[in-house]
Amino acid sequence: MTALLQVRNLSTYFHTQDGVVKAVDGVYYEVAKGETIALVGESGCGKTVSALSILRLIPEPPGKIVSGEVLFEGTDLLKLSQEEMRKVRGAEIAMIFQEPMTSLNPVLTIGRQISEALELHQQMTKQDAYKEALRLLELVGIPQAERRARDYPHQFSGGMRQRVMIAMAISCRPKLLIADEPTTAVDVTIQAQLLELVRGITRELGTSLILITHNLGVVARYARRVYVMYAGRIVEHGTAQAVYHDPQHPYTVGLLSSVPRLDEPRKTHLSTIEGQPPDLIFPPSGCPFHPRCAYAIPKCSKDRPELMEVEPAHYSACWVALQKPTPWKKIS
Amino acid sequence: MAVAVETLRPHHTIWGDALIRLRRNRLAVVGVTFILLLALGAMLVPYVSPYPWDRQNYNIILQNPSWAHPFGTDNLGRDVITRLLYGARTSLQVGIFTQIIVVLVGIPIGAIAAAAGGRMDNIIMRFVDVMYAFPDLLLIILVRAILGPSIYMLFLAIGLVAWVNVARLVRGQILSLKQRDFITAARAMGASGPYITLRHLLPNSIGPVIVVLTFNVPRAIFAEAALSYIGIGANTPSWGTMIRDGYEVIFAAPHLVAFPALAVGILMLSFTFLGDGLRDALDPRLRR
Repeated sequence: MTALLQVRNLSTYFHTQDGVVKAVDGVYYEVAKGETIALVGESGCGKTVSALSILRLIPEPPGKIVSGEVLFEGTDLLKLSQEEMRKVRGAEIAMIFQEPMTSLNPVLTIGRQISEALELHQQMTKQDAYKEALRLLELVGIPQAERRARDYPHQFSGGMRQRVMIAMAISCRPKLLIADEPTTAVDVTIQAQLLELVRGITRELGTSLILITHNLGVVARYARRVYVMYAGRIVEHGTAQAVYHDPQHPYTVGLLSSVPRLDEPRKTHLSTIEGQPPDLIFPPSGCPFHPRCAYAIPKCSKDRPELMEVEPAHYSACWVALQKPTPWKKIS
Repeated sequence: MAVAVETLRPHHTIWGDALIRLRRNRLAVVGVTFILLLALGAMLVPYVSPYPWDRQNYNIILQNPSWAHPFGTDNLGRDVITRLLYGARTSLQVGIFTQIIVVLVGIPIGAIAAAAGGRMDNIIMRFVDVMYAFPDLLLIILVRAILGPSIYMLFLAIGLVAWVNVARLVRGQILSLKQRDFITAARAMGASGPYITLRHLLPNSIGPVIVVLTFNVPRAIFAEAALSYIGIGANTPSWGTMIRDGYEVIFAAPHLVAFPALAVGILMLSFTFLGDGLRDALDPRLRR
């Protein structure tokens, strides 16, 4: 299995009035050709920033990619010139954004917005690009594509707009697709349709997919491997199966047990992870999760655990996970 | 009974939509009607009026309105309504040509400042501040003194003091639009900086700019009238000149001041109504 994208030791900091926010702090992950991985974590843990860093779309200032490598087919994207980077964006790596309501230009017709990228990257003529845009609209399931292509974004519903975003993202057949919480802004019935659509298309085109989400249900169904992020770092990484059934980090345990389940007797309270995500300007000493961790041992507040292989091909940044058996119970 | 439901809504472009909403605004329609009628009158007056604008007739000076001279005659016996319509040419020209200058100067400067950002932005905007702080009247008099008394130089002079507002507006619009998701999305699709400015940022900021331009028109008209009133304006018939001439005989023939003053007032009001209507029509949040 060859890696299409390797993110190595990526750190992105934001310089704010109050200090340096280490939004992404030494992150590693990789995606193989045609593989789907998931990046999971709470809001504000650095998932989106790490994805934007891959495309170098971090607003600078205040943000800055301070270290690391983003190897895409062996080339470090962080070393490319702006011009070279533009040729990667959209053509090689495309992104689907979280907010379909605001991610389309309100004054351009849908058809024009899709054909735009084709004209930019594939040097298509206007007519050819427009024809291709119509084909893409049909592909993502927009009925009456020819008619709807002349409509403006405000005439589309949220789910339809997200379909348009998907059509735009795949228009140049990128090798890697980054979907940043593509379904948070649409309702549940549409979520499943959209994800099935993305999965179908990525399979057909052999596109790799990074699925950024906080919905663990989504992860289980679509991703082969999972990276769990906390406070700008990867705290656990393994196959979806292993992470679900035998989590090796108390944060993952907390995430999994706070998913409401229909097959359990109704409880008065949903279980939650106590406390707040840490301040990324002054992170806690040692393991950033220890103030919220029920299993913390004295070592946790002193030494910061690195990602360690605690089971075969299953990594965790937790001192407690080294003890066997782990104090938390397996989830079946 | 289920009939075949017509699912196809009529198709509107953004401008088509705005036009529909503008037509619903009664005051704006009144304003546009007055402006168009005045423009028509100004165009047709040489063919319709029996009097040239400069024909003097000392037998009928300072006459009150009558059937032969609906708005009366002035102190040289010239027909007032004819001169008013010729004056409308000046006023409308001032209103429109100054805004062309404003568009040609203000929009590019604002867009360049916002798109470039950083030091470039700072230098350009400080220059704009200097222009903004400089007394308008002084600048106009200066330009008139240097460039001569032609009416085109008057357009230029008024245009040169009016573009700063538009430059600031365009810059502000673009700076706030830059933060929007669809700009990040366009960048993620590999669009370059100038392309994003021209294709995504400027078209999105054009609505408020049109509104400000419409509100600028009455100000330019008033500026021309005021300049003509103090004697450094147009040397063709102008409402400002007419008010000044009439002012000397205001007690003998008040209509000589009243008609041009009313004309200035109504025309300014018409453009203001139009601007108001455009602001509502172009604001997508008010879409119904």
